[in-house]
Formats: sequence, structure tokens, C-alpha cells
Amino acid sequence: MKRKILILPIILFFTLLIVFFYLLVIDRNPSELPSVLINKEVPSFQAKSLMTKKTFISEKEFNGEIILVNFFATWCAPCLQEHQYLKKLSNQRGLKIIGINYKDDPTTALAWLKKLGNPYADVIADKKGHIGIDWGVYGLPETFIIDSKGVIKYRLIGPITKKTYKAFYSKVMEIENL
Amino acid sequence: MKKNLITTFIFAIIIKFTIVNSYSVEPEEILQNPQQEIRARNISKNIRCLVCQNQSIDDSSAPLAKDLRELIRIKVQKNDSDEEIYKFLTDRYGDFILLKPPLKISTFLLWCLPFVFFVIGITIIVQQNKKSKKYIS
Amino acid sequence: MIANLGNFSLWLALFFAALQFGVSYRKNNKSTLYLNKISVYSLLLFTLLSFLSLMYCYIVSDFSVSNVYLNSHTTKPLVYKISAVWGNHEGSMLLWILVLSIFNYFIFKLYNKNNIILITKTLETQAFVTIGFLLFTVLTSNPFEKIIPTPTNGLGFNPVLQDPALAIHPPLLYIGYVGFSAAFSFSISAMSVGNIEKVPWYNYMKPFVLAAWTFLTIGIAFGSIWAYYELGWGGWWFWDPVENASFMPWLLGTALVHSLVTVEKKKVLQKWVLLLAILAFLLSVIGTFLVRSGILTSVHTFALDPTRGIYILIFIAILGGYSLLIFAKNSKKFFDKNYISFMSREGSILVNNILMIVVCASVFLGTIYPLIIEALSNNKISVGEPYYNSTVIPIIIPAILIMGIVPLISWQKTSLITILKKTFPSIMLTFAITVTILWIYRSQSVLGFIGIILSGWIISNIVFTLFEQSKIKYGKNKFIKNSVPKFTKSMILAHIGVALLILGITGSSVWQKEKITRMKINDETIIHNYKVIFKEIKEVVGKNYVAIQGNFWIYNEKNNIITKLKPENRFYPITNNSTSEASIHTNILRDLYIVLGNGNEQDGWIVRVYYNPLVVWIWIGAFVIFLGGIFSINSNLKIVKRLSL
Repeated sequence: MKRKILILPIILFFTLLIVFFYLLVIDRNPSELPSVLINKEVPSFQAKSLMTKKTFISEKEFNGEIILVNFFATWCAPCLQEHQYLKKLSNQRGLKIIGINYKDDPTTALAWLKKLGNPYADVIADKKGHIGIDWGVYGLPETFIIDSKGVIKYRLIGPITKKTYKAFYSKVMEIENL
Repeated sequence: MKKNLITTFIFAIIIKFTIVNSYSVEPEEILQNPQQEIRARNISKNIRCLVCQNQSIDDSSAPLAKDLRELIRIKVQKNDSDEEIYKFLTDRYGDFILLKPPLKISTFLLWCLPFVFFVIGITIIVQQNKKSKKYIS
Repeated sequence: MIANLGNFSLWLALFFAALQFGVSYRKNNKSTLYLNKISVYSLLLFTLLSFLSLMYCYIVSDFSVSNVYLNSHTTKPLVYKISAVWGNHEGSMLLWILVLSIFNYFIFKLYNKNNIILITKTLETQAFVTIGFLLFTVLTSNPFEKIIPTPTNGLGFNPVLQDPALAIHPPLLYIGYVGFSAAFSFSISAMSVGNIEKVPWYNYMKPFVLAAWTFLTIGIAFGSIWAYYELGWGGWWFWDPVENASFMPWLLGTALVHSLVTVEKKKVLQKWVLLLAILAFLLSVIGTFLVRSGILTSVHTFALDPTRGIYILIFIAILGGYSLLIFAKNSKKFFDKNYISFMSREGSILVNNILMIVVCASVFLGTIYPLIIEALSNNKISVGEPYYNSTVIPIIIPAILIMGIVPLISWQKTSLITILKKTFPSIMLTFAITVTILWIYRSQSVLGFIGIILSGWIISNIVFTLFEQSKIKYGKNKFIKNSVPKFTKSMILAHIGVALLILGITGSSVWQKEKITRMKINDETIIHNYKVIFKEIKEVVGKNYVAIQGNFWIYNEKNNIITKLKPENRFYPITNNSTSEASIHTNILRDLYIVLGNGNEQDGWIVRVYYNPLVVWIWIGAFVIFLGGIFSINSNLKIVKRLSL
């Protein structure tokens, strides 16, 4: 009895170390937050489209095909880095991307897109960031993959880069083939 | 490399907004009704700022924190209950956003272990006391 | 050049640490003593040399050293160039090693003809710990790494860290963490040598534990002062993982200091002390691991590097595995038949000890629980201030109530009635103090009420024991001297310090007042009977920053000017970020605290004014505890000296 109690600290200690070890070796970013919206339907929203100047109604748009939703802003430097890869996805791969212009000035955003080229099928203004909150966005850029039934399947935090482009695209394919 | 990029991305956000130096609640946000304001403050003290990690949105200067504070105030004015407001936030950001973790199966140990520790401690003391009585007599 | 010297010294230090470890296996031998002397002195010399080399590189801004390039800049004031040495991961490891070898030296100084085996074994363990950290530094975090080509200027330095309190915070904290390594080594040594050799290992361990605990106390206090005025909303403790990492060893240290007294006086609780000493150091290292490995995020995390994390983890596994095994195997040698009654001083110390452990375990649980959840599921949760407040406070309250009575209870068993009789006057005094303070602050808060009672309780008990003691000292009844428990001035100081600390915590967290408003020039606002007038705003230029500075005149009720407060918003162009410098007027009753937000001429500026009652007592309290600790170290060193005679 007495002996067992003395062994107990050792067992607890090593269990703890194993947890730490596991967390160290898996590829993980401690400041990355998993989305709670995965496998849920797209949050419904209505907002003004920057391109068509009409009201964008989410219920009507998200069905029938796989769609990427990209939150971006002109003041966000990583969004600029990411831009070329979004163009690649829309021009070369023919994916439909909806851009949500997060807390930005519409004219600046349109000028920015004119200068850099527009990968978006539609751009929606989220001036107050409320759509962002509904989607659980906490930093820019963030990209969601929505399947043909209008269900959110994946969220990427941070920009699509040279490194992550391939993995991201295969994620899209994987979801499309489900 | 991946980590580096993510850190730069986070920094991009932080830097952009720390230059505009505003700390936590701003005068324009404060509600006219002092009772509602107190309620809003108490709720936001329990909501974690997601960008700055270990602060509540009540203490944070991040723009997202400001947005959430305003949102909470709108809901408080609409007389939503605390539970409704918390649910609204956890539906979007998960339990991570609550600084006081809710009691669930996964957090059961978190909430009950301190109590268990306490009971174990008391047991040790009582046992020692009993033994000492025996020892003396 | 100097950097190479520093690097070389570091390797030499490693060599001598290995030598110290190697020679210690033959104990009780003249040559061991001699070689140990050489290695201890050389280790100290070369770590110091290495540390000074890095400092030199910082002072002359030698940007060929990557560490200097990353963390310094030519425009930085000299003081902050020096403190930048330990303001980053690599340099702070060097400081850590320096402190280790200083403690190593002090352990060596304890050698006398009776304790050769014990001290040699302690030095062996200490050498092992030093080797571990030296290897870690040399292999994964070498501060002397070069960068080619040499950059023309540095990247700068986090301006938030450009601050006096934060400059001395790490060295103090490290004395604390590393001090526990000495306690750890003594514990290992005592257990492996066994109790056969009749040397009082606890007497040797005690000054180190006291030093660690004392400096940890003041180190934490400096950290909280910094948080108070720099982070800009008048808070001083945030239950951040980094803070918890220093608070947990402090709690164990508190338990250790007190149970060591019991061992000394009654020879009970020996096993307990041996375990606590191991745990206190392990927790210090685990805390370092949590902060340095990037495994969790925090406001002040150092670096993200998994290889470092894995290295420290392996090191912890060896240290912990070995020490806990030897504890399981050998601690029965320290078995004591003396059971402890609750109604005695040793009993109340035991109760307090256990409550400290419970608090520590709860804080530990809160700190690592999110990690466990993340490892087991794909979820993330936060454990923040509300959790700690609701778990820690209910356990701390009884602990402090008991802490109040301890001075009045004597060693050995007393009865409940005697205790009640003795404490009756202090209960009355506590009541009087509480009513007075609550009347002054007109508060109906429950927590405020509890805080004041606790603080008053400690003070009243000490007042009455002092009174009893002086009655004996100057009175005629000298023969009853033994019936009144003895206690020392260091204990009185430390306990009064805690009382003041509680007073400060209560005042500042319960009665704080806040005013957030937008002000134009010549506007005024009122906070708790003080009138604040915004007089002017201007630009000022510092050495490596530009700032806008507000000028606020504060008037009291009688319309007399009290002070002019000048909060600043600084912008550091080199690193492209800004800080806010609060301006504070302090007196013993309250702080007035002003922070300037952003704004402009037309709309005015956001101004945040805080009235923080009694906040200064937190740090006065911490300082008084520190003083008590210093006195105690001193008197314990005298005891150790007497042992060598």
C-alpha cells in the first residue's frame, strides 16, 4: 500500500511528459483555433455585393458546386501575398471564389482588385465585420471550403502560400470527390 | 517555415492595430443605462480576445475585441440573457472564447479535481491527527 | 573576437561541470575535495566570462553576433542594451547558467569536516543539472552564433521590454528558479547518502530554499509592477501561463520554507520536505519548458522551436525520473514515528502546507488542462481568470485564517480552548480594524469584507504575540518564558508582508474606480472627489522613440492642485510599434492612474482615469516579505556556520 503511493508521482509525471511530447511532435500551431462551423451549413447573411451592387443572399448562392469563401482586406499584408494563389485557383482550376471584403473601404478594395486582377466571382462588403463574426473569423486572411450542399468542410487560417497551395488544392479536390 | 508565415501574419494584424493606441472600452461604446453597461462589462470580462490570446476582450485593444464588445452591448440592449449571448459567441468561436470553461464531460475533471485535491488534503490531516492521538495515548 | 571568447568559455564551463560531476563519485577523499575546488571555481569563472562577453557584445553593438542583431539596436539606451542580454531566450539561458554556478559555488562553500559526503553528492547532482543546461544552451540556443555578412544595424528590441522593472525582473526570478536546484540537489544527496551520516541536511538546504523563495517573491512582484503600469488598464495579475509558471514554484517554496522549520524543530515531516524540494525544482523547469517550447501561447512567450522543447523534455524526464525513483526507494529511511496533532504549531504548518499544495495543483491543472484537451480531442478551451478566482480563492481563505493563528500556537499539542482564549483579543481587534476600513471605503462588497478580515486577522495576531513576548522580556515572570512560543523577526516581517499584500489586493480589485471619457484641451472630469483637467498635449522625442504627451492637472476636493500627470503614447519607428506609458500618482491610500488613448484636436482624446485604492501595498507587502526572507537567510547562515564548528 505504502509503496504504491510512492510510485504514483512517477506515473503521473511520465503521463504528463508523454502528453507534452505528443503536443511537441505533432504539427500544430498553438495560436490556431479550430472552427466550430465545420460540417455545418453556411451561416445565412445578406449583404451588398461590391461588383453587382445588388444584395447578396447567401441561401441562394451556396448550392450546386464547391465554393471557396475568402475573407480579405486591402490593409492586410498576407492577403496581398495570397492573392496570386487565389487567382491561380480561379483562373487555372476554375474554382468559384467568393471574397468577403472585411472591414475595408469599398472604393479602395475595388481599385486594389482592378490593379491586381480579380479572382472573385463576387465580392461582398462586410464593413462592420459582422459577417466575419458569424463565420468565426479572427484574423485575416481566412479561407473556407464549402461543398456542393452548402456545408462548410474546411477552414484555412492564414494565407495560401507557395508551400501550402498544393495541400490546399488537394483538400478542395478531396471534398469535391466526396 | 509554415510557422514563420503564420507568425508574420499574426504580427501583421497586431501591428496594424497597435499603432492606433486605444485600450479596451472606448467612451463611445459605453451604454447610457449603467445597469446594462455593468452587465456588458461583466460578460466581456469572461470573453477571451482571440487575437491576443490571454486577455479578455474587456482589456484588449484588438479591433475584433472592440467589435465583439459592441455586439455584446447591442444584445444587452435587446435584453438578451447572458446565456443567449454566451451561446451566440460559442456557436461561432467554440468554447475557446470563454475564459471560464463551461462544465461539460470534457471539463469535468478540470472543475472537480481541485475539490478532490482538497478532500485528499483534509483526509491526510485528519489521519495524522488520529494517529497522533493513538501515539500519545 | 569577444564573441569567440564567450563561446569558448561556455565550452570550458561545460568541461569543468563535467569534471565536477566526474570527480564526485569518490567521496570522502582529499583529491575529490581538491578537484572539486578547481572545477567549482573554474565553472564560476568561465560562465561569468561568457556572460560578460555577451554583455560586451551588446554594449558595443557587435551585430556580427546574431543574437545581438536580433535583439538590439544602436539607438538603445545603455541600460537596456545590458538588460537586452537576458531579454531573449538564448541570453537568458546564459544568465540561468551563471546563477546556477553561483549557487554551485555557495554549496561548495559549505564544506566542513563533518559533511564531506553530503556536500560532494550535492555538488555531483548540481553539476549534472548544470551540464544539462549548458548542453541545452550550446546545442540548441547558442547566444554567440554568428551572422554573415555583418548587418549594419540591429532589428531593435521589443519596446514594451524597454523598462526598468522588466530589466531586473528576470535575474530575480532566475535566482528563485535556480535556487530550487540547490534544494533539489540537497534532497537527492540526502536520500542517496541516507540518514546514516548524522548531518542535518535540512539545515544546509534551508538557506537555499529561503534565497530561492525570497527572490522569487520579489521577482514576481517586479513582474506585476511592470504589468500594472505598462499594460495600461491597472491590472497587475492575469493568470497568464508565464505568471503561473512562476507562481507554482512560489507556492511550493512557501510550503517548503515552513515545513523545513518543522523538520528543524521537531524532526518530523522529513520525507515531505524531500519530496517538496524535488517538486519545486521540477515545477520550475517544467514552467520554463512550457514558456520556452512554444507549446502554449502567452502574451510573453519567448520562442517557437520544437527541438528545444524536446531537449528540455528529455532533460526533465531524466531529472524527474531519477529523483522520484530515488524518493520511492530511499525515502523510507526518513520515516518518522512522530505523528502530528492538528492542534499544534507543526500541525497548523502541515495544514497550511497541504492547502498550498492544493492551490498549486489547481493552478497546475488549469495551466495544462487546455493542452490535455487539445491532445485528446480536436477541441480547444480556455482557462482564464474566472476559473482561477473560483478555485484558488476558496482554498486560500482558510489557509490564511490558519496562518494568522500559527504564531499563537506552541509546538506540541495544545487544546482548542487555549487557542480560543489566546486568540480572543485578536478576534476583537480584527473586528475593529474591519469595521474601520469598511467605514472609510463605504463598501458592501463581500470579497472586500473577507480581504480586510484576513489582513486584519494576521496583523492583530502578530500584535498580540509581540505584546505577550515583550511582557515576558521586560516583565518579572521569566520562568514562564517557555510557554510562549518563540518566533523571529523574519517571520513577523514576512507575515506582516502577506497581510499588507492582501490589503492591497483587496483594495485594488474591489474598490477600483474607472472613468473612460473623451477629452479636449481644458476639459475636466471627476473621479472619486478628484478633478482632472486636461491642460495640453505635445510631442516629445526620446532616444529611440517619438511620443505625444498629455498634461493633466489633478485637483482635490478643496481645489488645491495635487499633481500633474503626463501619460505618453510612444511610437518606436525602428520596430514599428508603439507603447502606452501610464502616468501614476501614488500615495499610501490610493493611486491615480491616467492613460492616454488616441484622438485628435477636433474630437478630443480618449482618456482613461483609474482610482486604485491601496494598490501600493501590494508591492510594499512583497518588499516586506522580501526583507523578512533576507533576515531569515542571514540567521540561517549563522546556524550553518555554527554547524561547522
